[in-house]
Parts: sequence; structure tokens; C-alpha cells
Amino acid sequence: MATKSFADLAKSNASKRGMPHIRACFTPHPVWGKTAEQLMAYVEGDDPVSGKPLMKEIIDGLTVPLTAEDTKTGMMDVNVGPPIYGPDTLDNLQKHFLDNGMTDFLPIILPTPEKVDAMLKGTSHQPDEVVGKMAAGAYAAWTFNVRQVAVNAVMAGCEPEYFPILLAVASSGMAALGSSTSSFAYSMVINGPIRDRLNMNYTIGAMGPFAQPNAAIGRAWTLIGKNLGNGGIPGDTYMGSQGNNTNYNNIVIAENEKDSLWKPYHVQKGFKPEDNVVSLFAGEDIRQGHGARRAGVLENPMFDDQISDIFRTLTSQFDALVICDPLTIKRLVEQGYDTKEKLTEWLWKNTTRTARDYRDSAFVYTFHYPRALRGEEPYKTWYNCPEDTQIPYWPKSDNIVLVCAGGQTNPFFQVGNLTYRTSVSIDKWM
Amino acid sequence: MGIPSAPIITKAFKDLAILNAAKRGMPHERICFTQHPVWGKTPDELKVYVNGDDPVNNKPFMKEVVDALTVPLSDDEKKSGMVSVSVGPPTFTDTADNLQDFYLNNGYTDFLPIILPTEERVDAMMKGTSHHPDEVVGKMAAGAYPPWSYTVRHVAASAVMAGCRPEYFPLLLAVASTGIASLFSSTNSFAFAMIVNGPIRDKLEFNYGIGALGPFAQANAAIGRAWTIMSKNLGNGGIPGDTYLGSVGNNLNYNNVVIAENEEASPWDPFHVQRGFKKEENVVSLFRGLGVVPGQVARGSSVNTAPMFDQQMSDLFSTFTGFFGALIIADPLVAVRLHEQGYDTKDKLIAWLYKNTTQTVKDYKSRNYSYLFEYPQALQGVEPFATWYKLPDDAVIPHFPRPSSFNIVVTGGQTNAYPQGANMSYGVSVSIDKWA
Amino acid sequence: MKRRNLLSLLGLAPALLAGARTQAQPTDKTPKSGKSGAAPSGAQFTALNPKGSPPPVKLIPMAPRLDTVHGKTIYLVDTGFMSGGVLLQQMQIWFQKNYPDVTTIFRKKAGAYMEDDPPLWKEIKANGNAAIMAIGH
Repeated sequence: MATKSFADLAKSNASKRGMPHIRACFTPHPVWGKTAEQLMAYVEGDDPVSGKPLMKEIIDGLTVPLTAEDTKTGMMDVNVGPPIYGPDTLDNLQKHFLDNGMTDFLPIILPTPEKVDAMLKGTSHQPDEVVGKMAAGAYAAWTFNVRQVAVNAVMAGCEPEYFPILLAVASSGMAALGSSTSSFAYSMVINGPIRDRLNMNYTIGAMGPFAQPNAAIGRAWTLIGKNLGNGGIPGDTYMGSQGNNTNYNNIVIAENEKDSLWKPYHVQKGFKPEDNVVSLFAGEDIRQGHGARRAGVLENPMFDDQISDIFRTLTSQFDALVICDPLTIKRLVEQGYDTKEKLTEWLWKNTTRTARDYRDSAFVYTFHYPRALRGEEPYKTWYNCPEDTQIPYWPKSDNIVLVCAGGQTNPFFQVGNLTYRTSVSIDKWM
Repeated sequence: MGIPSAPIITKAFKDLAILNAAKRGMPHERICFTQHPVWGKTPDELKVYVNGDDPVNNKPFMKEVVDALTVPLSDDEKKSGMVSVSVGPPTFTDTADNLQDFYLNNGYTDFLPIILPTEERVDAMMKGTSHHPDEVVGKMAAGAYPPWSYTVRHVAASAVMAGCRPEYFPLLLAVASTGIASLFSSTNSFAFAMIVNGPIRDKLEFNYGIGALGPFAQANAAIGRAWTIMSKNLGNGGIPGDTYLGSVGNNLNYNNVVIAENEEASPWDPFHVQRGFKKEENVVSLFRGLGVVPGQVARGSSVNTAPMFDQQMSDLFSTFTGFFGALIIADPLVAVRLHEQGYDTKDKLIAWLYKNTTQTVKDYKSRNYSYLFEYPQALQGVEPFATWYKLPDDAVIPHFPRPSSFNIVVTGGQTNAYPQGANMSYGVSVSIDKWA
Repeated sequence: MKRRNLLSLLGLAPALLAGARTQAQPTDKTPKSGKSGAAPSGAQFTALNPKGSPPPVKLIPMAPRLDTVHGKTIYLVDTGFMSGGVLLQQMQIWFQKNYPDVTTIFRKKAGAYMEDDPPLWKEIKANGNAAIMAIGH
């Protein structure tokens, strides 16, 4: 039984998992927030999808004998269409890809055999080598090979020299479109000499549309999620109620290693400075630091205070990824934070809330309370201490990540409510 | 003024200073440069700057300043007259692949694949309007420099490039006619949004259900993208170091925040009706600010079965700067719930939010934007800032200057009751029908 | 980037700066071989230049220079960018030390940094011989 908003999803998912004739019943939407009386009306009323009385439908579902279709076994092939389209005009081909849900609804570079071959030259790996598996939600994962990633890389507007990065991202199995009703955001941090080889932008406008690799690599991640992970189908594999604007290009951050006074992120994760690494994050959003309080005296801004202030509007369901302009880092180093660790330690200790506020949060209740009941720390303590106790937002300082990007026209910072997932070697995919 | 002067700027703005001076008529302006930054440096550190060399021209700084005021003008520096600025030939011819690269390398795009604006495609796009190809649509500067002007044909070229269909064209002309760019030169990295109202939403198949703000429909995607491409080509915006100085940049600039209001599922008046348009009119409304954040994560998204969205929103705004307004992007489920709670109009909710979203004077003063943009106004007697700056630190004041700082739009697919909040101010509403 | 190169980006070639109305030859405006990987063969297409119309530039002749700063009055104008005032104060100290017969007058421009201040300009024109303005930042 589900609410009617999930009718398509329910049927589609049941089908994917092998029970295409599952007897699902639907109530009106939503159930959340309704009173007992309102829900009784649901129970006594009709299934809004089938039009039948709900309770009768449920009882029938449990008692009416199965048909031959219902008891079928065996394997069922899923068809994704022919391997190649055309020949046709450029305009018709663009339209074909768009109409068939293979794009982000924007113009693509048509993945002709020649272009795909050229892209494949960007790696030493074989075209038929399996790269990974991906599901943009809770359904069976699709697998894909080097050639399939190449097709999407071409479509997005990538150059062959970007290809190892795309392969590394694809190999993680992480899609940049989630299926949740929350509309998640995704980010990648790129480290190593490859940033300069590809002319990635990490100065003025680092987060915006000012360089081809930043734009196309981010965009390719979304296309990979759609085409290789079967993600992004509204009502089926994408349920985000309002959507997230960052999904178009995702949040691509080439770390500004040369202007940063701190260690680059990949070195913190144990890689060598000359390694090329992409690190992936997922969460809610990215926001500017301009509204922070406690900016201090303008001549001597207190960025530690400001960052901590922005943290108070994040959900601790996800972590924090702070993107600092090099000027902001210079100022923080002057304040005494000469390593990333010193600052994350301070931020972790000084971003707190009452245990009452913590326990009141819907996400904390859903995800932490069960762990507290199992005796897991720090949740067990956080759920048992007095209401007024100040507790940190996050279990440890590792939940806070700092990276450097920006063009030093002003000491600014941005905060992503994003959690680190994994780091992948790009060099492995060269 | 007729007074010789020497402008001083830090080296980070070298390109900007030289280009801007040229655009404004003084290509030989004697600009002197210091190290960067000046902000936050102590008097002793700045003394070193003053006594040292200009890091751009490698001359002793103060000598350069004095020379700027005293060395006689060259013939070039005395010149007057008009100088036209060229943008290159009217067309380019090559293979499709080479043209893609060329447009990208020449800064005409957002660095992603475009539909090449051939004569045929531009003609087809222009059939989307009754307006004449050579009609001037407007003027745009994506910053403080003299604006560029553009015709229907110019807008059509950018519209084709972005991947728009001819039926989108009146909407784009309406946006272009405002002269508002979706890339701004400031170091702050602003974000921009548009709200689309009227029957055109369905005609163009805008998505205002599941994934409303994301990449799930051609109209939402291409129209948003076109705004950035137009800003680059029509307004000469987005040139890093010249017309774009955003230090960190803003991810939202790729496609801008395009919101088609879910008028049908909303219990309230649509946005354009609140602005005085009739329901059946097609209208686009533009906003500018910092970004969009999800509201369900604010404190107050409580465990309770009856979520108190008004309180959630109020808490969400705590790190918004009141210099920009608050645009609430509410899922229809949120709107319906608020309506049940008694907010039967958007204005009622706005009145509550204005009154109940507060801050202390201390917190207010401690925000950068208050000092930079509102304190000068306070000194000139502009309210409410003049009063706010006179109150004691612990006094409680509204977070936003006035009720009109707030706006509400409804969009989303009702899979969950989530709002999002944009720290953005309303700019202008324009009739799309006028450009049909 | 050199000033000449920068200005050529604007389409302002040296000939133009000399007042002659000629069509500029902006750099990098002709298509070169692409790096798309495909052989540069295939159908030729003609596409429109998407740029709008930049306004013509009205040259502003610069104000005549002082023959010397000795004995003159120089206004130091703080436009409101952070610490600009502190920088100008250091310059004031420098003038006192190196040009003791120069009178420096420090003024903060009214309004936010992008706003005009006509009363101040009037004052400078009436009382001053030159101005140094700290832009940012």
C-alpha cells in the first residue's frame, strides 16, 4: 500500500524487481500530518488510482486467486532500444535524444561513432571493459562499460582529456540524481596536476560557467546518472518534490591548490600531491556565506565565527563542505588556523545546539534515534543527557571538510550541506 | 571636474580597471596599483605598500602617483571624439565541429554544446514573434559599464544557441527587454531567478511538478540557460576579470532558477496576479540575490506530525542577508498546509513572517552587507536603517526591512511537503504577451 | 596582460584610439581547426555572430596636469572600500615627509562606493588642484 503520488513508482519498481502484477493499493496523498479522523476517511473511501473501495481492494488482493501471469517465473529482458540511430539530420537527431529522455533537455554533441572513438582515445582502458554499476535509487543497478561512458561524455561536451575523470566518477557507482523526495545535490572536488592540464577554472567564478572542463564534466555526471543508472525519470526513478537547480551541472570544484595555504583535500585523504583524484559528495545544497552574523569588525573579519554561524542552518543529516576563497584562508591562517585540522576542530567544538533542539529534528529522529536505542555513541549520550546540554552538531570534526577555490577578488566562502562519500583515483583510468 | 586625478586600485583589478576606463572614454587613464588586498591590512602593512613599488608597472608607487598628476599629457591622452567598438564579422563559416569550438573559445557560450545559430534556425526562431528582426529590444550591462543594445535578431541567435524552441521566443524577448543580466560583475557572485505565470506554462510544457527546479523539461532548462547566454552576448557579461569579478562564482548561473508556478495546485493567488496582472496574462518576473536553500533542514522541522512551516521559514532566514529579500518556493503541500493553518492569502503569511522573523540590532550590525550597503543609507537618513543604527544592541528589529521584502511562489510535485527559500529580491515583472 | 592586448579584446585597435573610424580586426575571431577530434571535413555551415551592439565610446580628454605638486592642494578621497582610508592616511604621512609643502585633505565620499558625490566634486574643484582616489580593495 502506498499513497497515490507513488503509483507510477510502485508499479515500475515492482516490475523491475520481478513482480510486474503486484497487487498494490493506493490511498490519497499525503498521509503525513493527517489526523486520525482524516485517515479513517481514507480507509473508508476509494483508492483514488483504481476508483475501487480501498478496503475491498485490499481484501480482494489477499484472497482472489492468482492468475497464470501472477505465478510466472523466469528471466525478463529489459530493452533500452537500438544501439544506434540514424542516419538523420542534425536537428532530428537532437530531437530524438531529447524526446527519448536521454538528455538534460539541453543541446548535446551528437555521439557519432567518430566522436565516441575519439573520446575512447582519452583512456588506455578497453571499450568493452565494465566500469561499474549504478542505480540512482533503491532499484536494481544497471551496468555499463567504457564505451557507454564515452557516449555520455561526448554528449555532455567533454574533450577526450576529460575522459579519465568521467570514468573515475562513473566507476564509483554514484549517480548525481537521487530518487528521494528530497531533492539532493551532488558535488565533486578535483585535485592534482590534471586541473592545470585541463585548464580547469579555480579562480574567479570557480563555481560558475567559466571553463569547459568544469561545465562539461559536471554535466556529464548528470547524463551518466540518467542514461547509465536509469536515474532522473520523474515519478519513477526521481521523486524530488521540487527538484534542485544544482543538478544541471552539479557542484564541480577544482581545488585552488596553488593559492591555498592549506593542504589540498586529496593529500588529507592520504593521496600524494601529484596524484590525480576526484572526491564525491552528496547532500542538500550549497549556500553563500554573505548572510553570516558575527562578521566581526570589518577591518578584521572573523571567518571562523561566520562559518560556524552558517552551520547552524544546516541539517546534521549531512556534513559540511566549506569552500574558501584563498583570501579567506589567508585571514584564517593569520587568526591562527594554519592547518585545516585546527579550524575543523574549532568549528566542530563551537557549533553546538541544545539536546532539545537536536532531538526535535525530524531527520535526527528518523536516523539517529534507532542508533541511540542500540547503544551507539554519541547518539546514546545525546538522547539521554539533560535537554539544555549543548551538544555538537556532528559526531566528529571529520564531518567538516574544507577546500579552497576562488579568485581572490574578495575574501568570501560558501558552505555546502554535503557529505563526503568516496575518493577515486583518476590516474587509474588514464 | 577638470582636475587631474590619480585613481588607485589593487592589482587584482588591473584588467577591470584598464578595460573599464577604456569603455568610459579614457583608455590612457593613469591608474596606479597597490598590492592586494588592502582590506584588513594594518597601517604598518599599508605603509610598506605606499613606500614600495606598484606591482603591475614595477615603479616606485608614490613617484608614480606624483608623475600621474604632473607629467604632461601625451597627444593620445588629449584626444576627444567618438570611437566605435567592433564585435567582429556578422557571420562565421566552417564545419559544425569547428564552429562549436570557435563559439566556445570566443566566449559566446557557457562552455557547453550549443545549437549553432545558422540563418535558417535564427529565422525559424524569429517566427516565434510578430516583432521585427531589427527592432531594438533593450539595453543591458552586466555591471557598471555602458550598456550594449540588441535587436530581436540578436536575442534569437542566443535563444537558438541555448536550445530553445521558437515558441519560447516571446518569453526570452520579455526577459531581454528588462535589460537585467543573469551574470553580474560584483565580487559577490549573485544568483538570478525567474517566475513564469499564465497559460504559457502549459503551452510550453514547463515542468512545475516533480523536479520543478531541476533538469526535467526543455522549457525550464533552455530558457534558464538562454538568460545566461544572452547576458554574455547581448550585455557583454561574464568575462572573468573584466565584466565578471565573482571571487568564488555561483553554480546557479548555469541555468538560473526557473520557476513555473504550480498555479493549479496552489490555494493562493499566483504571483503575477499579486502584481496586478490578470490570471490569463502571461508574465515573467525576475529576481536577484544569493542562492536557494532547502527549508526542510531548518530547526523547527520538528518531529511533530503537524509541521509548522511558518516557524521553519522564519528560522531558515536567520542567515539570510536582509539586503536581499526572501523568496519562498513552497511545494503545493506546504501551501495547502499553511492555508489550513489560517494563512488563506500569501499576504497573511508575509505579514506574519515580517513580524516574526526578527534579529537583534547586534546581529544585524554584525553582517557584512549591513555595514557596506545599509549603513551609508542610515547616515543619509534612509529608513528603517537610520532608526535601526540608533537602537541599542539588544533591541529586536525585523530581519527584513519591509513586508515587500518577502515573496511567495508555489511549485513542486507534492511527493513531500518541502519548501525552499531563496535569499533574493524581486526586480520586475514583464508581459510575455507583448512580445508574442 | 599588456594594456594594448587588453584593449584589443574590446575591439579597440590602436588605429581607433587615434580617432580614425576603421573596422577593428579583433584577435582570434576567425575559426581555426577544431580540437573536437573529428576530421575537419564535412558540410560547411554559416552561423551568426551572437554579440549585441556595444555603445560607441566617447573619448574624454584627460585634465591638464600640474606643472609640479609643490605648494599644491591634493584631495585624498576614500570611496568606502575596506581599509582604503587607512591606505590614504599612509599616503598623507608620506606627503608630509617627502613633500611638506603639499597640502593634503582627506575626505570620505558619501554614499556607497558606486555612488556619485557632487558636493564633494564641487569642493575639490573649488579648493583643490588634484585628487587621488582609492578605489579598492
